[in-house]
Amino acid sequence: MTNTKADIKAVSKTARGNILAKLKAEVSGADYDKLPEEVPFNYPEFSREENLAQFISELEKNHAQVIKTTKANMASVISEQLKALNITKLLYGENDEHSEVIAALDSKIDLQTYDFSIDNNKERLFNECPAALSSSRCSIAATGSIVLWPDENEPRSLSLVPPVHFVIVDANELYADFTSLIKAQQWQDKLPTNVVLVSGPSKTADIQQTLAYGAHGPKALIVLLINI
Amino acid sequence: MKHIIEEESKYAASAKAFRANVARDLGNEELRSNFRGAMDYLMDKRKSAFSSEDELEVLREQCKLIKQRCLAKLPHLLEQLEGNLERNGIKVHWAETITEANEIIAQLIADKKGSSVVKGKSMVSEETALNDYLEERNVECLESDMGEYIVQLAKEHPSHIIMPAIHQNKKQVAKLFADNIEGFEYSTDVDTLIQQGREVLRNKFCQADVGISGVNFAVAETGTLCLVENEGNGRMCTTIPDLHIAITGIEKVVEHLSDVPPLLSLLTRSATGQAISTYFNMISSARKPGEKDGPQEVHLVLLDNGRSQAFADEELKQTLQCIRCGACMNHCPVYTRIGGHAYGTVYPGPIGKMVSPHMLGLEATTNLPTASTLCGACGEVCPVKIPIPKILLRLRQESVKPKSQQPEVMKGQGAGRSSVEALIWKVWAQVHKSPTMYALSMWGLTRFRFLMPKKLGGWTSVRTAPKPAATTLHQRVKAKQEKAKQSQQERG
Amino acid sequence: MQQLNTQHLRDYPKKPKQVYLFGTCIVDSFFPDTGMDAIELLEREGIEVIYPQGQSCCGQPAYNSGYKDEAKAVALSQVKQFPLDIPVVVVSGSCGGMMRHHYLDLLGDDPEINNFCQRVFELTEFLVHVLHLKPVDQGPKEKVALHTSCAARREMGVHLTGNKLISQLANVELVIHDYESECCGFGGTFAVKHADISAAMVADKSKHLVATDAVRYVSADHGCMMNINGALDYQKQSLRGEHIASYLLNRIKGNSSKGSL
Ligand code: SF4
Repeated sequence: MTNTKADIKAVSKTARGNILAKLKAEVSGADYDKLPEEVPFNYPEFSREENLAQFISELEKNHAQVIKTTKANMASVISEQLKALNITKLLYGENDEHSEVIAALDSKIDLQTYDFSIDNNKERLFNECPAALSSSRCSIAATGSIVLWPDENEPRSLSLVPPVHFVIVDANELYADFTSLIKAQQWQDKLPTNVVLVSGPSKTADIQQTLAYGAHGPKALIVLLINI
Repeated sequence: MKHIIEEESKYAASAKAFRANVARDLGNEELRSNFRGAMDYLMDKRKSAFSSEDELEVLREQCKLIKQRCLAKLPHLLEQLEGNLERNGIKVHWAETITEANEIIAQLIADKKGSSVVKGKSMVSEETALNDYLEERNVECLESDMGEYIVQLAKEHPSHIIMPAIHQNKKQVAKLFADNIEGFEYSTDVDTLIQQGREVLRNKFCQADVGISGVNFAVAETGTLCLVENEGNGRMCTTIPDLHIAITGIEKVVEHLSDVPPLLSLLTRSATGQAISTYFNMISSARKPGEKDGPQEVHLVLLDNGRSQAFADEELKQTLQCIRCGACMNHCPVYTRIGGHAYGTVYPGPIGKMVSPHMLGLEATTNLPTASTLCGACGEVCPVKIPIPKILLRLRQESVKPKSQQPEVMKGQGAGRSSVEALIWKVWAQVHKSPTMYALSMWGLTRFRFLMPKKLGGWTSVRTAPKPAATTLHQRVKAKQEKAKQSQQERG
Repeated sequence: MQQLNTQHLRDYPKKPKQVYLFGTCIVDSFFPDTGMDAIELLEREGIEVIYPQGQSCCGQPAYNSGYKDEAKAVALSQVKQFPLDIPVVVVSGSCGGMMRHHYLDLLGDDPEINNFCQRVFELTEFLVHVLHLKPVDQGPKEKVALHTSCAARREMGVHLTGNKLISQLANVELVIHDYESECCGFGGTFAVKHADISAAMVADKSKHLVATDAVRYVSADHGCMMNINGALDYQKQSLRGEHIASYLLNRIKGNSSKGSL
């Protein structure tokens, strides 16, 4: 390679100048107060029950498994599901928000804490973690989407790499649609490193329009819905 | 006006070969049926995603206005985006040409001593032919979207912007995997095929040191890169490797975070009829101290490649409203017949006919705007209401303008002009604007209708030739009026 | 779901005493019967039809080929032929769309042009929305299909008005062919410039029409019909298309129709 670092800096700088100059020449004098009004569609108001029903039906349409449960019962639900799937390990975040659940899991389950940096542990993450449990921040009824808000305790890959993803969803944190969620929580002021909306297990229709699940991410998304 | 276009993108040659490509692909029965089946499926999906016409129309109008506002403020939003991204620790690079973009990316990889790249779906990186560029520099660049992976194994290009391998059926994919994947257990079952692809690609995600992705929306207000996907490969590419490089066109920036939900809703529903994609991934920063994963470095490359040329014309600027949903190609009767490869361009179908002339110049693409009946199916479904047929008409006008060293609007002005054709239209106009000349020519046409040739070029290869009437409507009306007058006189 | 396309929605005037007829260049030179039938259809409703002898072509062929100046010259000359403030009824949805929508673009939005564009009506649109025609069917029982040109559909809503007229014919069963809304592949010079793509399209269109078992298909555009009928004739199929003006007139008069080629 012939270019040095300085080169691409220079290339970029010149390109930036040229592009912006061209674009600015076209918009100079534009009056942004005169832009036409953007009218959103007025969606009808839905009751909590309707929103919940919509949320569950969308998720199920997308092959997620939705289990209505309670905080107290969650541990046994997870234990049963793992047993049915023939999985004996569970990866979970370092936080203690769900420590009671974790503590109450079937003792035969080999618990793995995500207390390591990914850098030297990729092989382990990809090959030795068949299932994971994560929390969620909130969810969206219209599209059946679960909002993951990864942090130090629940890293991004926790919900991505293990083939089975259990996610705890609080029905009290259900919003009608994405627009109202962003507005209610003022997301524009506080986006973290990464936010992901998840609406089902990984899938693809890239071969002859035939849906197949588990393309790269989790093959199964198991939603533990509490506080219904 | 300055026109910067690549010395020659490899797509220039294949776009020039449009006619030959069409002849080749129209004759391929298997390909034809693959496309017909796929387009039927996608049209159906879209239809069932919109239950209310009102909602669809209100959303389309809203999204059109959102994109138009963002374009009206484009340079300012780009600066704002850059400021916010850099504040969040994401480095921004600018490229006017595809070569510049490739150089930047190659250098970023070299700086990290990267040797193995996994790529999420990115049409802009197809535009720059990034894979070829990196491979020449001994960097392995693996496509990880299932469709893109198939296409890469087949040494082809995507034939559709949303479903890259739509031109292949499962038997063809099975054969491809059998020829390329070690230990492949032969099967034409789609699930089995995907699972075997998954195994190969998961290994690569685990090992790769660089991830490259596209961007669906870049939010200026927050400095956020948004990615829409179903498979999870996009999340893999942007989460697992140490270095993430995103590349996108300058038109992808939106002003507010609140602009995203309506656009996203129309994008996924128009594209595949999904209420939302499986994953909507919003990246606002590289790994922060204390975080256990995510890339240490994130870069964004902003590419012009002809976009600023379209931007400079009020009408053609609308091309940049595109959110790359693919609905226009799904509903295009021409695309359905000839498939995606015949276009010879990165972006096929109606959207390709609109953007490729800016990327490659009209010299290479002069056959594209004319390869449309202007039926309007594309414009009718476009979620951001781009008047696609009108833009094609406009490109036809630019293409037949007199050639000039100093093109008024776009590179390649006059590339489609033939002096014979220009003369024919001149004469045609003279005849049709003058009632006397028109009457005379009609007289000739009907009088000498026996001279009408039985063979009329391509027309008569599948049709019989039409025959002029013995008397024109003008003459018949006149005769009728005279007869009426006569009988009135006789009676009077 | 049906596409909501509001471009063709407009306020319609009361039934006028007089109208202009714009025959279109194709009808003029190839299918004058259609023009005569359209005139008779309107006259039967008690309307005087004025056919300016100075009319020629709407300018669409040049316009669609990118020759804007040439199209403009012809379009302007046409506007001049229709000076009275009465409706201009056009025997083609495609030419009607050109004159109603594209003239504004081509000729600039001045009051005279605007007034002209406002007066342009496609024939079936005029029959349905202005005359409120209720055709009384005297013809034999038969099955027909309807093909709507794309411009007519999207710019003038002719698929709705054509459908409405045919549905009112008591003895006629309207059959919907597969891919009904898909283009036939004509597209003016497209059929010549990209003959092989056009051929593939018309092959499918004619196949789908033949598959309906209809005795004929009806259309409001001779452009498409020249294309489809030409293909049907070449394939030695018996199915033919007939212009909706002639078809309606024949049904009303109890004549058996013949299809135009
Ligand atoms: S032009 Fe419109 S329909 Fe086509 S890809 Fe772009 S947004 Fe979608």
